[in-house]
Amino acid sequence: MTSVSLPPSLVATLPGNIYADPAVFAREQELIFERMWFAAARSSELDKPGAFVTKQVGRENVIILRGRDQQVRAFLNVCRHRGARLCNAEEGQLRRNIQCMYHAWTYGLDGKLVAAPNLTKMQDIDRTEYGLINVHLREWLGYVWVCLADEPPPFETDVIASADERLGGEGVIGGWQVDDLAVGRRITYDVKANWKLIIENFMECYHCATIHPELTEMLPEFAGGYAAQAFVGHGAEFRDDAQAFTIDGTGGHERIPGVDEDHDRRYYAITVRPQVFINLVPDHVIFHRMYPMAVDRTVVECDWLYLPGVVESGADLSRSVELFDRVNRQDFEACEVTQPGMSSRAYRAGGVLVPSEHHIAEFHEWVQARLAE
Amino acid sequence: MIRVCAVGEIPEGEAVRVEHGPDGVPVAVFHVEGEYYAIDDTCTHQDASLADGYVEDCAVECPLHASCFDLRTGQPSGPPARVPVRTHAVVIENGHVYVQLRSAHLPVA
Repeated sequence: MTSVSLPPSLVATLPGNIYADPAVFAREQELIFERMWFAAARSSELDKPGAFVTKQVGRENVIILRGRDQQVRAFLNVCRHRGARLCNAEEGQLRRNIQCMYHAWTYGLDGKLVAAPNLTKMQDIDRTEYGLINVHLREWLGYVWVCLADEPPPFETDVIASADERLGGEGVIGGWQVDDLAVGRRITYDVKANWKLIIENFMECYHCATIHPELTEMLPEFAGGYAAQAFVGHGAEFRDDAQAFTIDGTGGHERIPGVDEDHDRRYYAITVRPQVFINLVPDHVIFHRMYPMAVDRTVVECDWLYLPGVVESGADLSRSVELFDRVNRQDFEACEVTQPGMSSRAYRAGGVLVPSEHHIAEFHEWVQARLAE
Repeated sequence: MIRVCAVGEIPEGEAVRVEHGPDGVPVAVFHVEGEYYAIDDTCTHQDASLADGYVEDCAVECPLHASCFDLRTGQPSGPPARVPVRTHAVVIENGHVYVQLRSAHLPVA
Protein backbone atom coordinates (compact mmCIF):
# COMPACT_ATOMS: atom_id res chain seq x y z
CA MET A 1 0.00 0.00 0.00
CA THR A 2 1.36 3.43 -0.87
CA SER A 3 1.29 5.98 1.88
CA VAL A 4 -0.36 9.21 0.89
CA SER A 5 0.63 12.46 2.52
CA LEU A 6 -2.39 14.17 4.04
CA PRO A 7 -3.19 17.87 4.06
CA PRO A 8 -2.61 19.38 7.53
CA SER A 9 -6.35 19.43 8.27
CA LEU A 10 -6.51 15.66 8.15
CA VAL A 11 -5.07 12.90 10.28
CA ALA A 12 -5.35 9.22 9.33
CA THR A 13 -7.58 6.83 11.29
CA LEU A 14 -6.73 3.21 11.96
CA PRO A 15 -7.11 0.88 8.96
CA GLY A 16 -10.49 -0.80 8.57
CA ASN A 17 -9.38 -4.29 9.55
CA ILE A 18 -8.61 -3.10 13.10
CA TYR A 19 -12.39 -2.76 13.49
CA ALA A 20 -13.41 -5.87 11.57
CA ASP A 21 -10.84 -8.62 12.00
CA PRO A 22 -11.74 -11.20 14.67
CA ALA A 23 -8.03 -11.88 15.21
CA VAL A 24 -7.47 -8.23 16.14
CA PHE A 25 -10.44 -8.40 18.49
CA ALA A 26 -9.01 -11.51 20.16
CA ARG A 27 -5.76 -9.61 20.79
CA GLU A 28 -7.72 -6.69 22.21
CA GLN A 29 -9.55 -9.05 24.56
CA GLU A 30 -6.25 -10.43 25.77
CA LEU A 31 -4.12 -7.29 25.85
CA ILE A 32 -6.71 -4.65 26.77
CA PHE A 33 -9.85 -6.06 28.42
CA GLU A 34 -8.11 -8.85 30.34
CA ARG A 35 -5.28 -6.58 31.49
CA MET A 36 -7.04 -3.37 32.53
CA TRP A 37 -9.61 -2.46 35.16
CA PHE A 38 -13.13 -3.14 33.86
CA ALA A 39 -16.28 -1.63 35.43
CA ALA A 40 -18.50 -4.70 35.61
CA ALA A 41 -21.46 -4.03 37.92
CA ARG A 42 -23.15 -1.44 40.15
CA SER A 43 -22.38 -2.33 43.78
CA SER A 44 -26.00 -1.68 44.79
CA GLU A 45 -27.18 -4.46 42.45
CA LEU A 46 -25.56 -6.85 44.91
CA ASP A 47 -27.97 -5.81 47.61
CA LYS A 48 -27.63 -8.73 50.02
CA PRO A 49 -25.47 -11.78 50.75
CA GLY A 50 -25.74 -14.27 47.92
CA ALA A 51 -26.81 -11.71 45.29
CA PHE A 52 -24.76 -12.24 42.15
CA VAL A 53 -24.29 -11.12 38.57
CA THR A 54 -22.25 -12.77 35.82
CA LYS A 55 -20.42 -10.65 33.26
CA GLN A 56 -18.33 -11.20 30.17
CA VAL A 57 -14.91 -9.62 30.73
CA GLY A 58 -12.52 -10.19 27.86
CA ARG A 59 -12.85 -13.85 26.98
CA GLU A 60 -13.80 -14.82 30.51
CA ASN A 61 -17.12 -15.08 32.31
CA VAL A 62 -16.90 -13.66 35.83
CA ILE A 63 -19.20 -14.15 38.85
CA ILE A 64 -19.50 -11.09 41.06
CA LEU A 65 -21.30 -11.63 44.35
CA ARG A 66 -21.79 -10.31 47.84
CA GLY A 67 -20.59 -12.61 50.62
CA ARG A 68 -22.05 -13.24 54.05
CA ASP A 69 -19.51 -10.78 55.44
CA GLN A 70 -20.99 -8.12 53.03
CA GLN A 71 -17.76 -8.10 50.99
CA VAL A 72 -18.10 -8.09 47.21
CA ARG A 73 -15.96 -10.74 45.52
CA ALA A 74 -15.33 -11.86 41.97
CA PHE A 75 -14.40 -15.29 40.65
CA LEU A 76 -13.94 -16.95 37.30
CA ASN A 77 -17.23 -18.71 36.56
CA VAL A 78 -15.64 -22.14 36.08
CA CYS A 79 -15.80 -25.26 38.24
CA ARG A 80 -12.32 -26.42 39.29
CA HIS A 81 -13.35 -30.07 38.83
CA ARG A 82 -14.32 -30.55 35.19
CA GLY A 83 -14.74 -26.97 34.05
CA ALA A 84 -18.51 -26.57 33.93
CA ARG A 85 -19.88 -23.02 34.06
CA LEU A 86 -21.20 -22.57 37.59
CA CYS A 87 -23.72 -19.72 37.40
CA ASN A 88 -25.65 -19.75 34.17
CA ALA A 89 -27.98 -16.84 34.89
CA GLU A 90 -26.99 -13.21 34.27
CA GLU A 91 -28.11 -12.33 37.77
CA GLY A 92 -29.78 -13.97 40.72
CA GLN A 93 -29.72 -14.89 44.35
CA LEU A 94 -27.62 -17.77 45.60
CA ARG A 95 -29.14 -19.62 48.50
CA ARG A 96 -26.18 -20.82 50.54
CA ASN A 97 -23.38 -21.69 48.18
CA ILE A 98 -22.37 -21.92 44.56
CA GLN A 99 -22.98 -25.48 43.43
CA CYS A 100 -21.93 -26.99 40.14
CA MET A 101 -24.90 -28.65 38.43
CA TYR A 102 -22.68 -31.43 37.05
CA HIS A 103 -21.08 -33.21 40.04
CA ALA A 104 -22.23 -30.92 42.88
CA TRP A 105 -18.84 -29.49 43.72
CA THR A 106 -19.95 -26.79 46.13
CA TYR A 107 -18.18 -23.52 46.85
CA GLY A 108 -18.82 -21.02 49.64
CA LEU A 109 -19.56 -17.39 48.82
CA ASP A 110 -15.89 -16.77 49.71
CA GLY A 111 -14.88 -19.14 46.90
CA LYS A 112 -13.62 -21.94 49.14
CA LEU A 113 -14.51 -25.50 48.21
CA VAL A 114 -17.08 -26.42 50.87
CA ALA A 115 -18.23 -29.85 49.80
CA ALA A 116 -18.14 -32.40 47.04
CA PRO A 117 -19.32 -35.98 46.89
CA ASN A 118 -16.76 -38.20 48.67
CA LEU A 119 -14.60 -35.18 49.53
CA THR A 120 -14.04 -36.44 53.07
CA LYS A 121 -12.30 -39.47 51.58
CA MET A 122 -9.93 -37.22 49.64
CA GLN A 123 -8.25 -35.44 52.49
CA ASP A 124 -5.32 -34.40 50.33
CA ILE A 125 -7.55 -31.88 48.51
CA ASP A 126 -6.88 -28.41 49.85
CA ARG A 127 -10.14 -26.49 49.92
CA THR A 128 -8.56 -23.14 49.15
CA GLU A 129 -6.23 -24.49 46.45
CA TYR A 130 -9.25 -26.08 44.76
CA GLY A 131 -11.54 -23.16 45.50
CA LEU A 132 -12.75 -20.74 42.85
CA ILE A 133 -10.17 -18.59 41.08
CA ASN A 134 -10.23 -15.07 42.47
CA VAL A 135 -10.44 -12.00 40.27
CA HIS A 136 -8.98 -8.68 41.49
CA LEU A 137 -11.67 -6.24 42.51
CA ARG A 138 -12.05 -2.59 43.53
CA GLU A 139 -15.12 -0.50 44.24
CA TRP A 140 -15.13 3.11 43.01
CA LEU A 141 -17.97 5.51 42.13
CA GLY A 142 -20.38 2.83 43.38
CA TYR A 143 -19.23 0.36 40.70
CA VAL A 144 -17.42 -2.94 40.99
CA TRP A 145 -14.26 -2.83 38.86
CA VAL A 146 -12.51 -6.12 38.17
CA CYS A 147 -9.15 -6.90 36.66
CA LEU A 148 -8.17 -10.26 35.19
CA ALA A 149 -4.45 -9.48 35.11
CA ASP A 150 -2.23 -11.45 37.48
CA GLU A 151 -0.74 -8.12 38.51
CA PRO A 152 -3.33 -5.37 37.97
CA PRO A 153 -2.14 -1.91 36.98
CA PRO A 154 -2.42 0.66 39.80
CA PHE A 155 -6.08 1.66 40.04
CA GLU A 156 -5.17 5.22 40.97
CA THR A 157 -3.12 5.95 37.85
CA ASP A 158 -5.09 3.78 35.43
CA VAL A 159 -8.66 4.63 36.41
CA ILE A 160 -9.00 7.49 38.88
CA ALA A 161 -6.44 9.62 37.05
CA SER A 162 -8.58 9.58 33.84
CA ALA A 163 -11.33 11.43 35.67
CA ASP A 164 -8.88 13.81 37.35
CA GLU A 165 -7.18 14.64 34.04
CA ARG A 166 -10.40 15.32 32.17
CA LEU A 167 -11.94 17.39 34.96
CA GLY A 168 -8.68 19.22 35.55
CA GLY A 169 -8.13 18.42 39.20
CA GLU A 170 -7.62 15.62 41.66
CA GLY A 171 -10.85 14.44 43.22
CA VAL A 172 -13.06 16.92 41.32
CA ILE A 173 -15.40 14.06 40.39
CA GLY A 174 -16.09 13.63 44.12
CA GLY A 175 -18.46 16.60 43.86
CA TRP A 176 -21.01 14.45 42.04
CA GLN A 177 -21.04 11.93 44.94
CA VAL A 178 -21.41 9.17 42.37
CA ASP A 179 -21.03 6.34 44.88
CA ASP A 180 -23.98 7.66 46.91
CA LEU A 181 -26.34 8.06 43.96
CA ALA A 182 -29.14 5.61 43.19
CA VAL A 183 -29.87 3.97 39.84
CA GLY A 184 -33.04 5.66 38.58
CA ARG A 185 -33.04 3.89 35.24
CA ARG A 186 -30.92 1.40 33.35
CA ILE A 187 -31.11 0.81 29.61
CA THR A 188 -29.05 -1.86 27.85
CA TYR A 189 -28.20 -1.40 24.19
CA ASP A 190 -27.00 -4.23 21.97
CA VAL A 191 -24.92 -2.46 19.37
CA LYS A 192 -23.76 -4.17 16.19
CA ALA A 193 -20.49 -2.29 16.05
CA ASN A 194 -16.89 -2.55 17.17
CA TRP A 195 -16.21 -1.08 20.62
CA LYS A 196 -13.67 1.41 19.25
CA LEU A 197 -16.25 3.00 16.97
CA ILE A 198 -18.36 3.64 20.07
CA ILE A 199 -15.43 5.19 21.96
CA GLU A 200 -14.46 7.38 19.02
CA ASN A 201 -18.05 8.49 18.62
CA PHE A 202 -18.18 9.43 22.26
CA MET A 203 -14.94 11.41 22.00
CA GLU A 204 -15.97 13.76 19.21
CA CYS A 205 -18.82 16.13 18.50
CA TYR A 206 -18.30 16.76 14.80
CA HIS A 207 -21.44 14.65 14.35
CA CYS A 208 -23.49 16.43 17.01
CA ALA A 209 -25.19 19.06 14.91
CA THR A 210 -26.11 16.40 12.34
CA ILE A 211 -27.48 13.56 14.45
CA HIS A 212 -28.15 15.07 17.89
CA PRO A 213 -30.68 17.91 17.44
CA GLU A 214 -31.87 17.69 21.07
CA LEU A 215 -28.38 17.60 22.57
CA THR A 216 -27.15 20.44 20.40
CA GLU A 217 -30.14 22.52 21.42
CA MET A 218 -29.30 21.91 25.07
CA LEU A 219 -25.55 22.55 24.63
CA PRO A 220 -25.24 25.21 21.91
CA GLU A 221 -21.43 25.03 21.69
CA PHE A 222 -21.77 21.44 20.43
CA ALA A 223 -22.89 22.86 17.09
CA GLY A 224 -19.26 23.96 16.64
CA GLY A 225 -18.20 20.33 16.58
CA TYR A 226 -15.83 20.42 19.55
CA ALA A 227 -16.63 17.91 22.28
CA ALA A 228 -16.17 18.60 25.96
CA GLN A 229 -13.68 15.73 25.75
CA ALA A 230 -11.35 17.78 23.57
CA PHE A 231 -10.53 20.03 26.54
CA VAL A 232 -9.38 19.76 30.15
CA GLY A 233 -11.70 20.93 32.88
CA HIS A 234 -14.23 22.24 30.42
CA GLY A 235 -17.95 21.70 30.77
CA ALA A 236 -20.31 22.61 27.94
CA GLU A 237 -22.74 25.26 29.13
CA PHE A 238 -26.50 24.69 29.05
CA ARG A 239 -28.49 27.00 26.81
CA ASP A 240 -29.64 30.12 28.69
CA ASP A 241 -33.31 29.25 29.06
CA ALA A 242 -32.80 25.57 29.98
CA GLN A 243 -33.57 24.80 33.60
CA ALA A 244 -32.16 21.29 33.45
CA PHE A 245 -30.43 18.69 31.27
CA THR A 246 -33.64 17.14 29.95
CA ILE A 247 -35.33 16.59 26.63
CA ASP A 248 -37.13 19.95 26.80
CA GLY A 249 -34.99 21.81 29.34
CA THR A 250 -37.62 21.48 32.08
CA GLY A 251 -38.29 19.03 34.91
CA GLY A 252 -34.88 18.85 36.55
CA HIS A 253 -34.14 17.70 40.07
CA GLU A 254 -32.35 18.97 43.14
CA ARG A 255 -28.71 19.72 42.42
CA ILE A 256 -26.29 17.19 43.88
CA PRO A 257 -25.01 19.04 46.97
CA GLY A 258 -21.31 18.50 46.17
CA VAL A 259 -21.60 20.19 42.75
CA ASP A 260 -20.37 23.79 43.19
CA GLU A 261 -21.42 26.93 41.30
CA ASP A 262 -18.53 26.61 38.85
CA HIS A 263 -19.78 23.22 37.72
CA ASP A 264 -23.48 24.07 37.77
CA ARG A 265 -25.42 24.27 34.48
CA ARG A 266 -22.64 22.46 32.65
CA TYR A 267 -22.12 19.07 31.04
CA TYR A 268 -18.87 17.16 31.55
CA ALA A 269 -17.84 13.96 29.78
CA ILE A 270 -15.10 11.52 30.73
CA THR A 271 -13.78 8.38 29.04
CA VAL A 272 -12.14 5.86 31.33
CA ARG A 273 -10.33 3.43 29.06
CA PRO A 274 -11.10 0.92 27.94
CA GLN A 275 -14.89 0.76 28.45
CA VAL A 276 -16.46 3.48 30.62
CA PHE A 277 -18.05 6.81 29.71
CA ILE A 278 -19.26 9.15 32.41
CA ASN A 279 -21.48 12.18 31.81
CA LEU A 280 -21.88 14.63 34.65
CA VAL A 281 -24.65 17.23 34.93
CA PRO A 282 -25.70 19.08 38.09
CA ASP A 283 -28.58 16.83 39.11
CA HIS A 284 -27.62 13.45 37.68
CA VAL A 285 -24.88 11.26 36.29
CA ILE A 286 -25.07 9.04 33.22
CA PHE A 287 -22.70 6.11 33.49
CA HIS A 288 -22.03 3.89 30.43
CA ARG A 289 -20.22 0.57 30.50
CA MET A 290 -19.32 -1.29 27.31
CA TYR A 291 -19.05 -5.04 27.16
CA PRO A 292 -17.28 -5.96 23.90
CA MET A 293 -18.81 -9.29 22.84
CA ALA A 294 -17.43 -9.72 19.33
CA VAL A 295 -15.47 -7.71 16.80
CA ASP A 296 -18.77 -6.31 15.51
CA ARG A 297 -20.94 -6.42 18.62
CA THR A 298 -20.83 -4.44 21.86
CA VAL A 299 -23.37 -4.45 24.68
CA VAL A 300 -23.67 -1.06 26.37
CA GLU A 301 -25.24 -0.80 29.79
CA CYS A 302 -26.25 2.74 30.70
CA ASP A 303 -27.29 3.87 34.18
CA TRP A 304 -28.99 7.15 35.02
CA LEU A 305 -27.99 7.99 38.60
CA TYR A 306 -29.79 10.47 40.86
CA LEU A 307 -29.80 11.46 44.51
CA PRO A 308 -31.43 8.59 46.43
CA GLY A 309 -34.18 10.93 47.65
CA VAL A 310 -35.10 11.79 44.05
CA VAL A 311 -35.48 8.11 43.11
CA GLU A 312 -37.32 7.22 46.32
CA SER A 313 -39.77 10.10 45.88
CA GLY A 314 -40.94 8.55 42.61
CA ALA A 315 -40.09 11.80 40.78
CA ASP A 316 -40.60 11.74 37.03
CA LEU A 317 -37.20 10.88 35.57
CA SER A 318 -38.45 10.42 32.03
CA ARG A 319 -37.40 13.82 30.67
CA SER A 320 -33.78 13.44 31.73
CA VAL A 321 -33.65 9.79 30.66
CA GLU A 322 -35.18 10.59 27.29
CA LEU A 323 -32.54 13.15 26.37
CA PHE A 324 -29.55 10.85 26.65
CA ASP A 325 -31.45 7.74 25.59
CA ARG A 326 -32.13 9.54 22.30
CA VAL A 327 -28.48 10.59 22.07
CA ASN A 328 -27.42 6.98 22.67
CA ARG A 329 -29.76 5.61 20.02
CA GLN A 330 -28.60 8.24 17.53
CA ASP A 331 -24.95 7.45 18.27
CA PHE A 332 -25.32 3.69 18.16
CA GLU A 333 -27.21 3.84 14.89
CA ALA A 334 -24.32 5.84 13.44
CA CYS A 335 -21.84 3.27 14.76
CA GLU A 336 -23.87 0.42 13.25
CA VAL A 337 -23.99 2.20 9.91
CA THR A 338 -20.22 2.58 10.06
CA GLN A 339 -19.36 -1.02 10.97
CA PRO A 340 -19.92 -2.60 7.50
CA GLY A 341 -17.63 0.00 5.93
CA MET A 342 -14.77 -1.24 8.08
CA SER A 343 -14.58 -4.38 5.91
CA SER A 344 -14.82 -2.48 2.64
CA ARG A 345 -11.81 -2.07 0.39
CA ALA A 346 -12.70 1.63 0.41
CA TYR A 347 -11.58 1.71 4.02
CA ARG A 348 -8.63 -0.66 3.74
CA ALA A 349 -6.23 2.14 4.63
CA GLY A 350 -8.75 3.78 6.94
CA GLY A 351 -10.34 7.20 6.78
CA VAL A 352 -9.47 10.63 8.10
CA LEU A 353 -10.01 12.78 11.16
CA VAL A 354 -10.83 16.49 10.83
CA PRO A 355 -9.36 19.02 13.29
CA SER A 356 -12.22 18.72 15.80
CA GLU A 357 -11.47 14.96 15.83
CA HIS A 358 -7.66 15.11 15.90
CA HIS A 359 -7.56 14.18 19.60
CA ILE A 360 -8.93 10.75 18.63
CA ALA A 361 -5.52 10.00 17.08
CA GLU A 362 -4.15 9.77 20.60
CA PHE A 363 -6.68 6.98 21.30
CA HIS A 364 -5.55 5.21 18.12
CA GLU A 365 -1.91 5.43 19.19
CA TRP A 366 -2.86 4.03 22.55
CA VAL A 367 -4.70 1.05 20.99
CA GLN A 368 -1.77 0.34 18.69
CA ALA A 369 0.71 0.53 21.54
CA ARG A 370 -1.36 -1.98 23.53
CA LEU A 371 -1.62 -4.34 20.56
CA ALA A 372 2.07 -4.05 19.75
CA GLU A 373 2.97 -5.69 23.06
CA MET B 1 -15.93 -41.34 75.30
CA ILE B 2 -14.07 -39.40 72.64
CA ARG B 3 -12.78 -35.90 73.42
CA VAL B 4 -13.85 -33.42 70.76
CA CYS B 5 -12.42 -30.08 71.84
CA ALA B 6 -12.45 -27.50 74.62
CA VAL B 7 -15.72 -25.73 75.32
CA GLY B 8 -15.75 -22.54 73.25
CA GLU B 9 -13.64 -23.88 70.40
CA ILE B 10 -16.67 -24.39 68.16
CA PRO B 11 -18.16 -21.01 67.24
CA GLU B 12 -21.91 -20.62 67.65
CA GLY B 13 -23.77 -22.04 64.66
CA GLU B 14 -20.83 -24.13 63.49
CA ALA B 15 -19.60 -27.67 63.76
CA VAL B 16 -16.48 -29.81 63.82
CA ARG B 17 -15.98 -33.18 62.25
CA VAL B 18 -14.48 -35.89 64.43
CA GLU B 19 -12.78 -38.25 62.02
CA HIS B 20 -12.99 -41.26 64.32
CA GLY B 21 -16.09 -41.23 66.50
CA PRO B 22 -16.74 -43.58 69.38
CA ASP B 23 -17.29 -46.52 67.03
CA GLY B 24 -14.87 -45.36 64.37
CA VAL B 25 -17.50 -43.63 62.26
CA PRO B 26 -17.03 -39.86 61.62
CA VAL B 27 -19.20 -37.71 63.88
CA ALA B 28 -20.19 -34.04 63.57
CA VAL B 29 -20.53 -31.98 66.74
CA PHE B 30 -22.60 -28.80 66.49
CA HIS B 31 -22.78 -25.79 68.78
CA VAL B 32 -26.23 -24.21 68.50
CA GLU B 33 -27.66 -21.63 70.87
CA GLY B 34 -25.40 -22.70 73.72
CA GLU B 35 -26.15 -26.42 73.31
CA TYR B 36 -23.98 -29.13 71.77
CA TYR B 37 -25.35 -31.83 69.48
CA ALA B 38 -23.60 -34.80 67.90
CA ILE B 39 -24.75 -36.78 64.86
CA ASP B 40 -23.10 -39.05 62.33
CA ASP B 41 -21.20 -36.74 60.02
CA THR B 42 -21.94 -38.48 56.74
CA CYS B 43 -25.19 -37.68 54.94
CA THR B 44 -27.29 -40.80 54.42
CA HIS B 45 -28.00 -39.80 50.82
CA GLN B 46 -24.49 -39.32 49.40
CA ASP B 47 -21.05 -39.10 50.98
CA ALA B 48 -20.88 -35.50 52.22
CA SER B 49 -19.77 -34.05 55.54
CA LEU B 50 -22.69 -32.57 57.47
CA ALA B 51 -20.17 -30.59 59.55
CA ASP B 52 -19.75 -28.52 56.35
CA GLY B 53 -23.51 -27.97 56.16
CA TYR B 54 -25.58 -24.94 56.96
CA VAL B 55 -27.09 -24.76 60.43
CA GLU B 56 -30.49 -23.19 61.01
CA ASP B 57 -33.24 -23.79 63.58
CA CYS B 58 -31.47 -26.73 65.22
CA ALA B 59 -31.13 -28.55 61.92
CA VAL B 60 -28.26 -28.95 59.50
CA GLU B 61 -28.67 -28.71 55.76
CA CYS B 62 -26.37 -31.01 53.81
CA PRO B 63 -24.07 -28.89 51.64
CA LEU B 64 -24.52 -31.17 48.65
CA HIS B 65 -28.21 -31.76 48.11
CA ALA B 66 -29.88 -29.71 50.84
CA SER B 67 -31.45 -32.51 52.86
CA CYS B 68 -32.03 -31.17 56.37
CA PHE B 69 -31.40 -33.29 59.47
CA ASP B 70 -32.80 -32.41 62.90
CA LEU B 71 -29.82 -32.19 65.25
CA ARG B 72 -31.91 -33.54 68.17
CA THR B 73 -33.44 -36.55 66.42
CA GLY B 74 -31.33 -37.14 63.31
CA GLN B 75 -34.51 -37.25 61.21
CA PRO B 76 -34.35 -35.87 57.66
CA SER B 77 -36.99 -33.26 56.85
CA GLY B 78 -37.38 -34.41 53.27
CA PRO B 79 -35.73 -35.90 50.18
CA PRO B 80 -33.33 -36.71 48.80
CA ALA B 81 -32.24 -38.25 52.16
CA ARG B 82 -34.75 -40.77 53.58
CA VAL B 83 -32.72 -42.51 56.29
CA PRO B 84 -32.01 -40.64 59.55
CA VAL B 85 -28.48 -40.12 60.85
CA ARG B 86 -27.66 -41.48 64.30
CA THR B 87 -27.49 -39.02 67.16
CA HIS B 88 -24.91 -39.31 69.92
CA ALA B 89 -24.69 -38.12 73.50
CA VAL B 90 -22.56 -35.06 74.22
CA VAL B 91 -20.93 -34.82 77.63
CA ILE B 92 -19.35 -31.61 78.94
CA GLU B 93 -16.73 -32.30 81.62
CA ASN B 94 -14.09 -29.98 83.08
CA GLY B 95 -14.43 -27.54 80.21
CA HIS B 96 -14.15 -30.16 77.49
CA VAL B 97 -16.66 -31.53 75.03
CA TYR B 98 -16.90 -35.33 74.70
CA VAL B 99 -19.06 -37.50 72.51
CA GLN B 100 -20.37 -40.89 73.56
CA LEU B 101 -22.37 -43.62 71.84
CA ARG B 102 -25.92 -43.93 73.05
CA SER B 103 -26.75 -47.26 74.64
CA ALA B 104 -29.33 -47.75 71.90
CA HIS B 105 -26.48 -47.87 69.38
CA LEU B 106 -24.64 -50.66 71.19
CA PRO B 107 -23.28 -53.06 70.35
CA VAL B 108 -21.65 -51.92 67.17
CA ALA B 109 -20.31 -54.25 64.58
